[in-house]
Amino acid sequence: MNDIEPIRLEQVSAGYGQRIVLEGLDLGLQQGAITAIVGPNGSGKSTVIRTMARLLPARSGVVLLDGRDIRNFGSRDIARLVSVLPQSPSSPPGLTVRELVELGRFPHTGLFGRLGAEGRCAVESALTLTGLGSFAERPLDELSGGERQRAWIALALAQGASTLLLDEPTTFLDVRHQFEVLDLVASLCASGGMTVVMVLHDLLHAANYANRVVVVNSGRIVADGTPAEVLTVELMRSVFGVTARIFTDPESGRMICLPIGPGGS
Amino acid sequence: MTSTRSFVALLVLTGMAAVALFILHLGLGTVWIPPDRVIGVLVDGLADSTDRTIVWDLRMPRAILGLLVGGMLGLSGALLQVVMRNRLAEPGLTGVSTGGILAAVLFLAGIWGLPQPGRLLPFVVLVGALAGGILVLLVTSRRGRIDPLRMILTAVVVNAILGSLTAIVMLRSNYALGNILSWLIGSLHGRVWDDVWLALPWAVVAIPAGLLAARAANILQLDDESGRALGLPLQPARVALFGLAGVLAAGAVTVSGAIPFVGLMAPNAARAVVGADARRVLPLAALIGCLLLLAADLVAQSFSIKPPIPSSAYRVGLPVGAVLAIFGAPLLIILIRRSTR
Repeated sequence: MNDIEPIRLEQVSAGYGQRIVLEGLDLGLQQGAITAIVGPNGSGKSTVIRTMARLLPARSGVVLLDGRDIRNFGSRDIARLVSVLPQSPSSPPGLTVRELVELGRFPHTGLFGRLGAEGRCAVESALTLTGLGSFAERPLDELSGGERQRAWIALALAQGASTLLLDEPTTFLDVRHQFEVLDLVASLCASGGMTVVMVLHDLLHAANYANRVVVVNSGRIVADGTPAEVLTVELMRSVFGVTARIFTDPESGRMICLPIGPGGS
Repeated sequence: MTSTRSFVALLVLTGMAAVALFILHLGLGTVWIPPDRVIGVLVDGLADSTDRTIVWDLRMPRAILGLLVGGMLGLSGALLQVVMRNRLAEPGLTGVSTGGILAAVLFLAGIWGLPQPGRLLPFVVLVGALAGGILVLLVTSRRGRIDPLRMILTAVVVNAILGSLTAIVMLRSNYALGNILSWLIGSLHGRVWDDVWLALPWAVVAIPAGLLAARAANILQLDDESGRALGLPLQPARVALFGLAGVLAAGAVTVSGAIPFVGLMAPNAARAVVGADARRVLPLAALIGCLLLLAADLVAQSFSIKPPIPSSAYRVGLPVGAVLAIFGAPLLIILIRRSTR
């Protein structure tokens, strides 16, 4: 195991205009692990991800990328190390899957460089890993929501970065496609050694796919640990304001976090 | 559109069609010269000397301008549709046409008390055109940020203001309106080699630059967050593409006036055929622009009207802009309706 954390936030504050969203956040990523960031709406989850990739520069504090201050990186240098999949990405109508995925090579080619053999190889393997080989020439707008989400993940993979930041990757998908996307992410992590951070709304997914769950509330980290350590009845009440049952499903062995109603705290 | 090979074949076909129209264009006029004789003039200088004079001295400038202006407008529109993220964007939205025309009208109306040597006019138009483009850019950027939607709104408003200023100046002056009208609607009549030299530098610089911007254009077509995550500085890229679109449109306006529809139709036709990848849309839009303008100018040349002005002894060719609006617009509608995208 490498000691250097792929990304580390130290006393990071960030915000938009007058509004401070994150305050003095400390968070280091474990290499090769899946970290889920959960929290109520407006708690600053997405801002954590945006700060990690310098999509939003930190107001104060330091963001370290591979142990070095992220302010010293060029935008494309960052994009070669960190891929980000935003919450609601959009592409122009008619763009095919392959054309989209090829854009993932921009951090390597720049404005005028050629895609090259290495680039074509990266695009092919991204298409294969996401199971989109046979969809490559299809326009994105003809695909199902799940396939489209996989295409965007393929774009992120083609970047060749070792860290993948996903902002609510399952939000607009039906249940089956949610599992499909999460299984894909888990396999990338297991076989490709990628470091993954996901902002998730569904605590069930956080419980079952993440190695580590970070709970953010009002711009601060209020809990951090394994799903079993973090997701407790007490936390569900204090952070999310709901009464929940938390138990292990006897057949699948999966951890179930079941909110059953609003809970006065 | 799937393979690179079929795309190249498409480019070659479109290019060949443009060459065919070009030769036809050179043949058409008061004296009809059949294509074989036109080709004879083009490939060896030993052809009939009257033919040579007609083709090279009289008709060549207009045909070349048809190609250049069409290509510039097609590419300009394609770039602007990316910057503004809207398929209804067209070169006029850069503020370049209205700026150029206002400058022309001011100049012709003699408001600055200048003498009026005709050869100075294109330069005045050029300055006005570039000023119009810069004005739109300045008004739309807020703390260095450019938002596509705000840019469209700004452009529409700036164009409306410049347009009404033009109308006011025109009403106040007693200069013959017909002359200005042909700038307003766009025309290639009576263009000479000097006009070609005026447009050529812009075309030679800005067309290749515009085509090279394809990759930046592709990323700008994504949502802002995705584009930024890929490491493209969005605002400088938008300004650069807007600048290229403006320069291309300015070069076109300078020699032909505000030719409508080419810059709207060509990119939409290109998208209907090859999808959304700018690496394909941009060159094809430029080529389709060439085709459209040459074809429309052929029609414009074939019909003429006698203006109901007592002093006018000549029949006047239709302005190419009018032809484009009449024949081109329905074509565009058919194309968009048929396209599944």
